[in-house]
Amino acid sequence: MAKLEASDTVVLGISIDSPAANAAFAKQIGVTFPLLSDMNRKVLTAYGIMRPYDVEGDKYEWAERTTIVVDKDGKIQHVQQGDGAVDPNSAVSVCTNLHKKTGS
Amino acid sequence: MKRWITAMCAAALLLGGFAAQRTATAQEEPVIAKTTLKVGDVAPDFTLLANNWKTVKLSDYRGKKNVILAFYVLAFTGG
Repeated sequence: MAKLEASDTVVLGISIDSPAANAAFAKQIGVTFPLLSDMNRKVLTAYGIMRPYDVEGDKYEWAERTTIVVDKDGKIQHVQQGDGAVDPNSAVSVCTNLHKKTGS
Repeated sequence: MKRWITAMCAAALLLGGFAAQRTATAQEEPVIAKTTLKVGDVAPDFTLLANNWKTVKLSDYRGKKNVILAFYVLAFTGG
């Protein structure tokens, strides 16, 4: 996290959970960055990362695990999906490089 | 005693069957929901409620910060 702050980067967590659930989750895992609620799935839809899940015979849709890096111009610099996206190291190094490149 | 053992075996078989069925369902699921976005695209803007019930807008960070969007599956699921 210190590395990220040094490279002018913020982290936003996003899921379909309610703010109340996210508040409890943030407390449990001790995150300091905001956890955002995409309860009507509009962002997940816009980003095309809704994934169908089958739970006990019923179909549900929520997020595929995804990490996206957006630079200061609002452009996407990095996309990582699936279980590999649990490891934040590659996203962190993208941000460190962005920081070096722009020097800001 | 013999009947009891038979019952246990039947239960074990049943459970094993369920487990196999679940694995099969998992394999049928698409491995990944590919995002439609590519590197270089402008990230669609959004405004969402944060865990403190205040809104966060992606474009508020424009010109100020790089943003890592970490989409997670569900809260309390470890990942």
